[in-house]
Amino acid sequence: MAFKQHSVLPGFNLALGYTLLYLSIIVLLPLSALVFKSSHLDLAGFWHAVAEPRVVASYKLTFVASALAASINLVAGLLIAWVLVRYPFPGKRFIDALVDLPFALPTAVAGIALATIYAPNGWIGQYFEPFGIKIAFTPIGVVIALTFITLPFVVRTVQPVLQELEKELEEAAASLGATRLQVFQRVILPTLLPALLTGFALAFARAIGEYGSVIFIAGNMPYVSEITPLMIISKLEQYDYLGATAIAVVMLGVSFLLLFVINGLQWWSAKRLGRRR
Amino acid sequence: MRRGFNPSLLPPHPSQGNPMSIEIKNINKRFGDFTALDNLNLDIASGELLALLGPSGCGKTTLLRIIAGLETPDQGQILFHGEDATDTHVRERQVGFVFQHYALFRHMTVFENVAFGLRVRPKKTRPTEAVIKKKVHDLLGLVQLDWLADRYPAQLSGGQRQRIALARALAVEPRVLLLDEPFGALDTKVRKELRRWLRRLHDEMHITSVFVTHDQEEALEVADRVVVMNKGKIEQIGTPEQVYDTPETPFVYQFLGDVNLFHSRVHEGWAEIGGARIEAPNSPNETTATVYVRPHEIDLSRDASDSAIAGVITHIRLLGATVRLEVEVAGHEAVEVELTRERYQDGAWRVGDPVWLNPREARVYTAG
Repeated sequence: MAFKQHSVLPGFNLALGYTLLYLSIIVLLPLSALVFKSSHLDLAGFWHAVAEPRVVASYKLTFVASALAASINLVAGLLIAWVLVRYPFPGKRFIDALVDLPFALPTAVAGIALATIYAPNGWIGQYFEPFGIKIAFTPIGVVIALTFITLPFVVRTVQPVLQELEKELEEAAASLGATRLQVFQRVILPTLLPALLTGFALAFARAIGEYGSVIFIAGNMPYVSEITPLMIISKLEQYDYLGATAIAVVMLGVSFLLLFVINGLQWWSAKRLGRRR
Repeated sequence: MRRGFNPSLLPPHPSQGNPMSIEIKNINKRFGDFTALDNLNLDIASGELLALLGPSGCGKTTLLRIIAGLETPDQGQILFHGEDATDTHVRERQVGFVFQHYALFRHMTVFENVAFGLRVRPKKTRPTEAVIKKKVHDLLGLVQLDWLADRYPAQLSGGQRQRIALARALAVEPRVLLLDEPFGALDTKVRKELRRWLRRLHDEMHITSVFVTHDQEEALEVADRVVVMNKGKIEQIGTPEQVYDTPETPFVYQFLGDVNLFHSRVHEGWAEIGGARIEAPNSPNETTATVYVRPHEIDLSRDASDSAIAGVITHIRLLGATVRLEVEVAGHEAVEVELTRERYQDGAWRVGDPVWLNPREARVYTAG
């Protein structure tokens, strides 16, 4: 192979071959089966399945709510990582462990717990009820469930980078006359950008595919609070396998495109930091 | 590296004709149980290049950081040209600080790194884009790296990075330039070039500068005055000649070069080491003393003598221009002798040869 470079690390062919085989079986094969299955539909049938108004409403909810949840965690996750790295305080390890909990919890449990708390008579929901704000069983509830489930991503990607950040960079900036805010904006944030983007991408991807925690709090009202994964499930329940795969293909395409763009951004910003690949 | 230094490239610097002295008064600093600085006093004259020299952990970096305002003293005062600057934030102190590991902003080009200090100024005092551009290019010309303006720090060598860091610090027209082991991370050759270059730069700009180093050669070569520090205290302050030729304490003597130690007693103004008698006029009679002799201040002879130290050559190491011999002396640890290549060849010394050592210079420090 022309691009093979001499390396002291042995097993390039073996490692690359294994990687490709593994990715093919685990990722590519099921996905191509999906695309293959949907190709049984003709174009009109495909369009009919994916452009149905109720399905279109679910795309909007899924992608907008996912982007919102990932954005919320971009800010909150950065804050949590900052506090965990920068300040010593009692119970720090406990808080640190708490961050991973949304990963460990079965998503359905999370969903039921959130639905109970945010229901109009729930612990938190009751305070919003008098103002006419409903959280559970509305798109707001969907965003909350997705925010909960995607919390660890940004924290865990930003934390190590923040830990490695040289104190001297901030001191240098301060000695050059920069205020705290300028140091953060011009020195810290740009350095964290690739990690933030990675965290955002992971959170976003996870939110798009999330099902278990959302369906309990969403209320699943047609055109209002139905997410796309739910549309797929309900098509399957009606034995409309082709319709389900058609929607899945659309999700797959959009997700791939978005992740591709985010990865491109991340690659670009990492390159600027001199971490060339 | 291009070494030509062109003073005409210098931007007019406000510190010229704007003298800036620093007074450090009774500074104390502790980190937990560790005393970093112990009631330290130091006056830094306007426009001088001062070296803080000492082993790691002696407090020299802490002192530099306190001058910069990156660290606050537990007690004491810092005066900048007579004005109390102890509580002035590093942001307002107008110091240029250069770090050992450069601390360049990796996401910015060389140009943007140098321009940083100008861009973060409040709107009222911020120069226009054209002025910034001219100033940055002037400074890059000064450090002879104008051709790297569009590169990122990751694409530069260590020596280039440190020169950019210096240009960045100078961009804000600091009243004081502080350098923390500026050449510590560079290889020997680049380090030597850069310190000569720094000396020339200082000769042109006359900005009051303090630099920290643990390398005595660097301090002696570059600085106007050297402050030798140990365990949070100043051991000696003086010109390079003064601290090297007349070290006031055993520590300074040992730290400023290789040394042979002899344990002895003072008897009527003389200390005797293996036959050789060293004058110790000011030492009290009958006290234990330590005699310090530098390896290059010992003469070798083949002629037996009662007034010399007898020994046998056990090792010979060729170190470029000099040759180091190890001589075994009865009842004493091995003595190091340094000869020039010529004198070594004239003597035709071999391992196993018996020799007599004659210290040309020595210093006697009595205990207590």
